[in-house]
Amino acid sequence: MPAQTRRELLRGGAAGAGGAAAGVLLAAASAQAAPAPAAVSVTDRLQRLIRIELLLAFSYRHVLASSVLTPRARRTLTPFVAHEQAHIAALERELTARGATLPAAPASVAAANHDLGHRKVGGRLGQLRGDLDAVRLLLTLEQVTIGAYFVALLKLEETGLIELASQIMANEAQHDAMLGLLMPPNKPADAVPYGLVQGLQ
Amino acid sequence: MVNQTRPPGASRRAVLTGAGTALAGAIALGGCGRAATARKAVKRLPKALMESDVRILSAALALERRAVAAYVAGIPLLPHPQAKAARQFLNEELEHTGELISLITAAGAKPPPRADSYPLGHPSDGAGVLALLHSLETLQVSNYLQSIPHLSPGPVRAAVASILTVDAQHLTMVRFIQGQTPVPSAFVSGAE
Repeated sequence: MPAQTRRELLRGGAAGAGGAAAGVLLAAASAQAAPAPAAVSVTDRLQRLIRIELLLAFSYRHVLASSVLTPRARRTLTPFVAHEQAHIAALERELTARGATLPAAPASVAAANHDLGHRKVGGRLGQLRGDLDAVRLLLTLEQVTIGAYFVALLKLEETGLIELASQIMANEAQHDAMLGLLMPPNKPADAVPYGLVQGLQ
Repeated sequence: MVNQTRPPGASRRAVLTGAGTALAGAIALGGCGRAATARKAVKRLPKALMESDVRILSAALALERRAVAAYVAGIPLLPHPQAKAARQFLNEELEHTGELISLITAAGAKPPPRADSYPLGHPSDGAGVLALLHSLETLQVSNYLQSIPHLSPGPVRAAVASILTVDAQHLTMVRFIQGQTPVPSAFVSGAE
């Protein structure tokens, strides 16, 4: 495919399929039309979300404990650990109320790196060569996390869980914007470059 | 859903362009038949639910249009770097109106007309404009958070959430420019 910006692609989609929203519906309808995989229960979805939040929290902690960050990046990212912890606690409350098993956090850097690889996130903890390497890894992982909430919202039916997932998804998108601000050219306009954020799936 | 792979160290823009490519792929692969399926999915809703969704989407559209009006009116009062960001956010708000109109139309309804004017107050300088944008982005975020759980089909909820996320990012950037804590809470509530 020739190089195109996402905006151009979305415009193309709008012209050809009645809007990017229609594209979302399309993708969902396409998923629905595919041979039905085994049904994913609410507890399975919660466990998936908790697992990625645990990986995100582990990654933030690891990066903050290393020496790769500039003081500015450190100041920006430090509060996010508590946010991820709050997300995990809220999701775990929902999971516990349904009597399901809580997933465990990555037991080691190697386990976290294996999970990052499984999720196709570039960069590995312990091998980050500088500030931008670390920010890029966290940015991609935030986008994968946003994608996980987007997928969950396609299927969740309980009002309380939909509300919680929306609140957390929006918060992860705010983290994404602040990480974007740490990337050159470090301008607010470039930190929110797209009109629709669905994350990476 | 589309899976995608990224080479280690791919730039943010490259990664996001990849996301666009994947989305475009989904659209392209969808073709006319699947577009019709998507529209049918919305049309298959019971009439009462469809009407309820259209009401929610129309209310969101009114707020997006008000935000567009505020950005258009406020940008000339902002200093250059802030105006550049505001122009970017304006484009994204316009994209949101397009998305909402697409969803309303897919539900078989007619989008409500634009208002002749919107209540924006009388900001006279950059700080006043930023305060106005802050309040309108907050209002939008709050409205989306309240309404998303009441939308009927999951794909529509997710599509509207993809708009919510961007308005939450706008709010963060406006707070940053104002010198406030950009992400004050772990849960976006629309009360920030």
